[in-house]
Amino acid sequence: MAEVKVKVQPPDADPVEIENRIIELCHQFPHGITDQVIQNEMPHIEAQQRAVAINRLLSMGQLDLLRSNTGLLYRIKDSQNAGKMKGSDNQEKLVYQIIEDAGNKGIWSRDIRYKSNLPLTEINKILKNLESKKLIKAVKSVAASKKKVYMLYNLQPDRSVTGGAWYSDQDFESEFVEVLNQQCFKFLQTKAETARESKQNPMIQRNSSFASSHEVWKYICELGISKVELSMEDIETILNTLIYDGKVEMTIIAAKEGTVGSVDGHMKLYRAVSPIIPPTGLVRAPCGLCPVFDDCHEGGEISPSNCIYMTEWLEF
Amino acid sequence: MTQAEIKLCSLLLQEHFGEIVEKIGVHLIRTGSQPLRVIAHDTGTSLDQVKKALCVLIQHNLVIYQVHKRGVVEYEAQCNRVLRMLRYPRYIYTAKTLYSDTGELIVEELLLNGKMTMSAVVKKVADRLTETMEDGKTMDYAEVSNTFVRLVDTHFVQRCPLVPATENSDTGPPPPAPTLVVSEKDMYLVPKLSLIGKGKRRRSSDEDATGEPKAKRPKQTTDNKEPIPDDGIYWQANLDRFHQHFRDQAIVSAVANRMDQTSSEIVRTMLRMSEVTTPSGAPFTQPLSSNEIFRSLPVGYNISKQVLDQYLTLLADDPLEFVGKSGDSGGGMYVINLHKALGSLATATLESVVQERFGSRCARIFRLVLQKKHLEQKQVEDFAMIPAKEAKDMLYKMLSENFISLQVGCL
Repeated sequence: MAEVKVKVQPPDADPVEIENRIIELCHQFPHGITDQVIQNEMPHIEAQQRAVAINRLLSMGQLDLLRSNTGLLYRIKDSQNAGKMKGSDNQEKLVYQIIEDAGNKGIWSRDIRYKSNLPLTEINKILKNLESKKLIKAVKSVAASKKKVYMLYNLQPDRSVTGGAWYSDQDFESEFVEVLNQQCFKFLQTKAETARESKQNPMIQRNSSFASSHEVWKYICELGISKVELSMEDIETILNTLIYDGKVEMTIIAAKEGTVGSVDGHMKLYRAVSPIIPPTGLVRAPCGLCPVFDDCHEGGEISPSNCIYMTEWLEF
Repeated sequence: MTQAEIKLCSLLLQEHFGEIVEKIGVHLIRTGSQPLRVIAHDTGTSLDQVKKALCVLIQHNLVIYQVHKRGVVEYEAQCNRVLRMLRYPRYIYTAKTLYSDTGELIVEELLLNGKMTMSAVVKKVADRLTETMEDGKTMDYAEVSNTFVRLVDTHFVQRCPLVPATENSDTGPPPPAPTLVVSEKDMYLVPKLSLIGKGKRRRSSDEDATGEPKAKRPKQTTDNKEPIPDDGIYWQANLDRFHQHFRDQAIVSAVANRMDQTSSEIVRTMLRMSEVTTPSGAPFTQPLSSNEIFRSLPVGYNISKQVLDQYLTLLADDPLEFVGKSGDSGGGMYVINLHKALGSLATATLESVVQERFGSRCARIFRLVLQKKHLEQKQVEDFAMIPAKEAKDMLYKMLSENFISLQVGCL
């Protein structure tokens, strides 16, 4: 009798079994598992069998391959996505992956080309394909009106792309901003005036002339002049423009967590103020506003002695 | 000195002193310090006239002299001081608001004559005031002296430097030009004079004013006959003190605009208390305790100590940062932050110029860049909430007139 060398097959050496075990492990650790983890789980499996199993799972689109600082990670792919990508080839999957990674800021077609190293024609074909499958969409960016960024279909575009509440269809709405600007200022002004007329002791007068950003936000919402819903940050940007106009000043105070309108333990308070000096002397004389200031000198064609602005001004 | 400034000095000198002084003065401004003979040679005027012109200029503090080595005396013109002549009306008006007509005339006389002795000033001013009064009334010297002493006490008038008294004068030939000194403590020391008399009208005869016998001194009919008691002690107007006063006024009105009348009065009191104790270039005034301030408030203001403390706390907490708290003794020690105040006023002036010249949206961009120091084009549009095209337009307009500068950075 010839000796039959029988290789003792360990119990779950079946490739399908290995794959299932790996998938189970991935489900256990949704953030991803390293090769080391798989090895520890199934020490009796040889490296080659492991590699085969992993490759099969990857090609079937059930696993994701990621790189981390420690090495390679395998992660279970979302089953929904796994279903979607059936029928797409690897290139499409790669492009889709890149777009997914870009999150809600979207990514430009040229950047996709750089990241995937695919030729332009291929990229365009793939993008058209994905768009028709309703997996991605193109959004026009406000920063450059010719640029189109691509992002996943069901994502809301980020504010930096659409411009947020101040842009409607890529157009900056300046009248809307102006109206809001004036309304906020009027609100703060009336508040300061009522505080001043109440004639109580100065501390109370000062404190009641302040309004928190939350109060202003509520007032604007109740006014109903905005068709778009505005957040408190939007109102704060408007109030900042009033600060740059020199009409309003801001202080930050520490507020208890949980008080209405406080963010991270502090609140912003705004108050209408008047300028500390009246229009300065130089601009009250005609010379301060003169368009030919640099050409004016005694004895020239334009000189103080024959200045028409000066004559007019002195005639009051 | 720019051409425009030299032209202005020339016009001022001509208007106040005449052609010869103007020629010498402008020559000195243009060429810097020069000895006497060179001036005479270069301007082509006789030595005698040059001497007289220099006398006038030195009397009015417009020219100073220095002894260089080898005994050469060089004269140098002070262009800035000449330009200050434009402000004489403002100085006189300030003296009027603070010390009424008497003060106004004292300062006017001092400014027009450069340097004078106290007795001369008092006599002249009394005469002038008597001119304007009703018939039969005269201005007493004592009242004028009082105002003069008050002006000196608040440092608006100061002593001129004089020749130091030397013990022995036989140390050799006298120097070609005396060096004048005045010590700190003597600068505001009024000599003990008893000026008794009344102002005279020009048309009145001597008998009117000499009705009452004066015990101590003979009648002052003419001043040439008797020695002037304070000979050699000359007084001049202290221009820096006036400038300090203007600075204080600006700070008080800024506080009044930003807060209310009472706060500005408190700040005015604090500044008044620090008038003579704080040097003019100091960044902070001396610390003042809340009790002291309460005692020094003007008589008409009756606010309670508590309310005063509240106002002081509000002033110290205000984002303007004009007033700071430096300690807690004496009910709280407060200082006025002079450098910060002047900085804020300067910034506000710049912003006002931009606003009037270019419009309020440009002013918004200007303030924004001022606060944030460096901004990119896109950030300017976002923060200021101005459409991109307009923002670009405005930035380039301000850039072309040098209000904003561009810095190219590498990525």
